[in-house]
Amino acid sequence: MYSDSHQPDASPGATDYLSTDQEGSSGITRLLHRVAQQDRKAFAELYEATAPKLMATVLRILKDRSWADDVIHDTYIKVWQKADQFDAERSSPITWLAAIARHGAIDELRRHPARRETASNELDNIADHAPAAHEEISDQQTVKHLNHCIDQLEKDRQDMVRLAYLNGWSRDQLAMHFDQPINTVKTWLHRALKQIKRCLEP
Amino acid sequence: MSERDDLDMMVAEFVLGTLPQVERDALQARRAREPELEALIQQWEARLAGMLDGVEPIAPGPELFSRIQRTIDQQTDQQHAVPEARSAAPDNVVSLRKQLTRWRWSTAVASAAALVLVAVLATQPEPEPQAQSFVAVFQHNDEQPAFLLTVDLTSRQLNIQPVTAEPQQDKSYQLWMVAEEYGPNPRSVGVIGDNFTLDQAALRDYDPETLRGATFGISLEPKGGSPTGQPTGPAIHGFLYPTSADQGKGRN
Repeated sequence: MYSDSHQPDASPGATDYLSTDQEGSSGITRLLHRVAQQDRKAFAELYEATAPKLMATVLRILKDRSWADDVIHDTYIKVWQKADQFDAERSSPITWLAAIARHGAIDELRRHPARRETASNELDNIADHAPAAHEEISDQQTVKHLNHCIDQLEKDRQDMVRLAYLNGWSRDQLAMHFDQPINTVKTWLHRALKQIKRCLEP
Repeated sequence: MSERDDLDMMVAEFVLGTLPQVERDALQARRAREPELEALIQQWEARLAGMLDGVEPIAPGPELFSRIQRTIDQQTDQQHAVPEARSAAPDNVVSLRKQLTRWRWSTAVASAAALVLVAVLATQPEPEPQAQSFVAVFQHNDEQPAFLLTVDLTSRQLNIQPVTAEPQQDKSYQLWMVAEEYGPNPRSVGVIGDNFTLDQAALRDYDPETLRGATFGISLEPKGGSPTGQPTGPAIHGFLYPTSADQGKGRN
């Protein structure tokens, strides 16, 4: 449906909506408000603009295409039903959407852990947090600030935070990988999160 | 550690994803009715979302959005069932609704598309000789440039007749089809000629089953047909209007 050959003009938002500028973000906000009115055209545009990012987010956690499809399906059904709950004062639209998708993926993973095979290259992936050239989740200043704060953590804790957030690792998996008791992992995570919070405070 | 700190860490771990499932479920059940908790969650989501910045987008498969649309259509159908219409012609109405919503989506995506909508109806759910004959009415608001399309599935012959439609200066009407097998974009069946003629065998290459499930539409295009291969005409809306010898009875 979204192939370029068919609809060169129907996807003006594909890059704009995820761009770093204010207009991009407010473009998705506007779409979400229209989706809240059950506007199907807006819903199609919203999907087109945001699904690739959400798919990548979910796929990174589940590592299985059809499983990720299910989660993205459920994510957009929720978006259709709950778009009126989006509050632009409290959340950026893409953060709100990504949260629905990520939590959907993590819930799935916790319920069916056996379905996911642990990929060996996960640790390689997490080092790769260089800002991408275009598709952005939030403005670059915020991203840089967060990366700066995470980089202040000890190396192990940096990896823990990224493996948990990006790859959906549980406390158990982290404990196994870092060869630490679960309670230690929990303590480290709490310290890391507090440190990040403090570091981000203005 | 204060209670507030405990809650903050629980929320932080929820957002990070490491909160154990039992606590995750409990937290998610609470958030809808506890605005303060919801606010804490949003704050943590905002803090950590920057990590997703480096995740390179991956295009979903082409079928996924259709699947999402189907689910929403089913939910919409359940919510907005039309009881009186159902009692008149249940099978047709159900299939009509499906086809109508499919067009809604199609035109939603092909934003410039301007279509007079039409459904092709099976006259009977079970196979009988006359069930191979299909009729569709294209109706344009109350202004009514309307067409009648009949399709014989056995011979795959089509016949298009203007009812009140009139030729438009420097414009052509074009007949389109949407079928599940060919994805969500309309396919051109053919450009309707000046005397409202169309190649009777324009459907010969399509499987009868495909045609039976297809939805047809007519758009007003530049002379000679759409230059883009997709409907581009002006925004005229149409109504679905089932008529056939057997199912027309009892409808108003």
